[in-house]
Amino acid sequence: MKRFATIVTLAALVLLAVFLLYPLALVLDASIRIDGTGGLTLGNYAAIVKSRYYLGSIGNSLLAAALATVFACAIGIPLAFCLARIDVPGRALLLTLASLPLVLPSFVSAYALVLLFGHAGVVTTALRGIGIPIGSIYGLPGIVIVFTLTLYPYVVMPVLAGFQAVDASMEEAARNLGGSRPYVIRTVLLPIVMPAILAGGLLVFIEALENFGVPAVLAEDRPFLAIDIFKLFAGESDANPAAAGALSVLLIACTALTLLVQRHYLGKRRFSTSARSAPAKLPLTPGLRLAATTVSWGIVIVSLLPFAAVLMVSVLRFRGPVLTWELGLSNYATLLSGSYRPLLNTLTLASIAAVATMLIGAPIGYVVARHRSRLSGLLDFIGMVPFAVSGTILAIGLIIAFNSGPLVLTGGWLILVIAYVVRKLPFAIRSSSAIVHQLDPSLEEASINLGVSPTTTFATLTVPLMASGLVGGLVLVWITAASELSATIVLYASGWVTTTVVMYHAIEGTGAGLAAAAAAVLILVTAIPLLLINRRLNRQQTTVI
Amino acid sequence: MTSIRIKNLTRTFDTVRAVDDISLDIKHGELFTLLGPSGCGKTTLLRMIAGFADVESGSISFDARRIDGLPAHRRDIGMVFQNYAIFPNHTVAGNVAYGLKARNVPAAEIKSRVDKALERVRLAGYGPRSPHQLSGGQLQRVAIARALVIEPAVLLFDEPLSNLDAQLRTEMRIEIRQLQQALGLTAIYVTHDQEEALAISDRIAVLRQGKVEQVDTPERIYRTPQTAFVAEFLGSTNMVPGIAGAFDGRNTHVAAAGTEFAVRGEIAPPGAPVLLSLRPEALRLGDGSDGPRIQAHLTLREFLGPMQRLHATLPDGTQIRISALGAQAFDVLPGASLALAYDPAQIKAFPSP
Repeated sequence: MKRFATIVTLAALVLLAVFLLYPLALVLDASIRIDGTGGLTLGNYAAIVKSRYYLGSIGNSLLAAALATVFACAIGIPLAFCLARIDVPGRALLLTLASLPLVLPSFVSAYALVLLFGHAGVVTTALRGIGIPIGSIYGLPGIVIVFTLTLYPYVVMPVLAGFQAVDASMEEAARNLGGSRPYVIRTVLLPIVMPAILAGGLLVFIEALENFGVPAVLAEDRPFLAIDIFKLFAGESDANPAAAGALSVLLIACTALTLLVQRHYLGKRRFSTSARSAPAKLPLTPGLRLAATTVSWGIVIVSLLPFAAVLMVSVLRFRGPVLTWELGLSNYATLLSGSYRPLLNTLTLASIAAVATMLIGAPIGYVVARHRSRLSGLLDFIGMVPFAVSGTILAIGLIIAFNSGPLVLTGGWLILVIAYVVRKLPFAIRSSSAIVHQLDPSLEEASINLGVSPTTTFATLTVPLMASGLVGGLVLVWITAASELSATIVLYASGWVTTTVVMYHAIEGTGAGLAAAAAAVLILVTAIPLLLINRRLNRQQTTVI
Repeated sequence: MTSIRIKNLTRTFDTVRAVDDISLDIKHGELFTLLGPSGCGKTTLLRMIAGFADVESGSISFDARRIDGLPAHRRDIGMVFQNYAIFPNHTVAGNVAYGLKARNVPAAEIKSRVDKALERVRLAGYGPRSPHQLSGGQLQRVAIARALVIEPAVLLFDEPLSNLDAQLRTEMRIEIRQLQQALGLTAIYVTHDQEEALAISDRIAVLRQGKVEQVDTPERIYRTPQTAFVAEFLGSTNMVPGIAGAFDGRNTHVAAAGTEFAVRGEIAPPGAPVLLSLRPEALRLGDGSDGPRIQAHLTLREFLGPMQRLHATLPDGTQIRISALGAQAFDVLPGASLALAYDPAQIKAFPSP
């Protein structure tokens, strides 16, 4: 078994070194080279610091992420509290729906905002028609709204777990000692769930900072870090890989720092195992209960409305860029008339990536959970690095690394799969090590003791016991790979256009109907498998976050 | 029938010697218990025998055959785990058959052996059930059947009863003892519960900080403990420090707790500090017999049904416990003066640490 652990650890480290650390090192290297000549310089960083445009870009990104974090906490904490402590009607369904925005593509939500409130949006036009002008949703306001509505589950899940982990007797003790209910909430409950709030909030911050799709749809010409990195690297006219590298390094520095702080707070989540009896639901007056119900359902429905709007718009006819109220499948006809290829590519690439990610991630998760050593600790740490690296930056690194030299991957499908696998590997590792943690190690020892060799025990006992959990992980990786945009947009080649790429170009151009159809396809592709296994997923997301 | 020889076994975790140069000889057919507080190394020693902890130095042999080099799955040992370790994805019969399948026993023979094993642990007919339908005590029986059915050379028990409630615990330990004797298996049993150890063992090894303090039969371990630790660990004794005085040819007089005790034999030179172990049942309420006595004051009486525990104060304020039969001394009230008689032969003295 030790040999198995060492082999897995070394193989995983080599894999991560080649496809994660090496590309990232090249991005860092590009950031300290003079473009063209290749000499060492810090000039790229100096140029950024001197440029009002790039400082604005960094400022906008940080501000949007910070505001999104605050708002996500502002709606996520009360929602978590209601789910944990108030008898909200339809609680189970609400819980499932509340986790949906995490896996539905956020840029689809952004696009829905454009369809509704954009320059030619349905609502904008209608309101303008009756003489009420509304402000622009482009730029910061729209981006913050979408981030808030799509990322708040990152706060809800851990905070909900936190509220439920507070043992009933803790609160009863505080009440017994003479604390009023609000006093107890302030002095006992909130301090206990604080680490969960911080952990969830910081995750929102990281995701918002890295996100490419939402600003791509909503930023218009305002500078945003993720967009500028992409444009500087892949732009037709003003490409500047050195500046792209420098901005990437700054972005990674921000996310990595946040991730370290986040992990630090997660490490303090000692309360999560202490609850013996979950606290009782609060007795509320009918009025207050109605208010709580309205708020909880309201938050979840508002966050899902954009997706519903996209589905609806996708079956309406467009006349040029203008939406009509005629029903029809013309958008889908346009989407599929060109070729089935993008949809097929999406399904194929996601499937290969999901299977590969779990095949690689599950043994790593097992080793990390079962065989603690310095080497597996290193693996655990490096396995978390992809969390701090946005898809765009990883993709840029992969292109620099595998555009020439002994291993040329650019232009094919494999580089897309590699990007998906590397990006989703932390999730696969986390979820499988969480499963392994729930398996009693003496089960494997009993099997070995009864005469079955360790390798056979792993294959015939451990893997089947992990299987049900692994299926959940597989589906989640599949979904997120199918709706991946930030790395795909950098890496795709002509034969390997995916649905997300079609949608991106349709938004950029004038294909409003085409974009709506592509977005609807993405929603269906992601939501259907999710709903099929949602009970399993709820558990997993909580453990993974 | 297998005898076990453990020679100079050592295992270090970081800087802690979990198992420190332990040597033991376990006779065939013996139920041998490793007893000690948590962290004494008993579980590590058991896991070294099972092959789940590496042997740093020393050797383990079954009869004349060294087994410490064998991988865990080839040692032919049956093990009963603390938390049962019943495979949740197999039925009860599947669990019991697991080790037989690993040994490529023909299917027909597996069925009859599984049935017989389940019958032995009084679970006949439970074969097709799923483990989650069984209670804790039943799961424990499945675990025992699973370990027995492979007819192992040696049976290991790792605190098998610690997850059961008190009544089930006393029932199961009798069952385990009867099964082990009926099958004539050599068994090593790990526990931190001294009563359990005394009740079922042929011999007990008391472990402390990775070392063996004493190996003996339950009676001798209890009556003639070799160290203060053994005396204290078995049967909540009263430990009273004192100074040895003169030896009168029969007893040594020890000044302790503001009074004087007579201890059989010459236990220490005069003036040497000693520790006296006064078993609660070795002190009797004045029963008219002659022999030495000490004076004490009753502070609290716990009535426990068949017996009662008296808490008393010796002249210098030292608290001691005395066990008396339940019917005795009902008229004594707290504050009353007690005359406690004892037999000097029942008081054990240890050199003061």
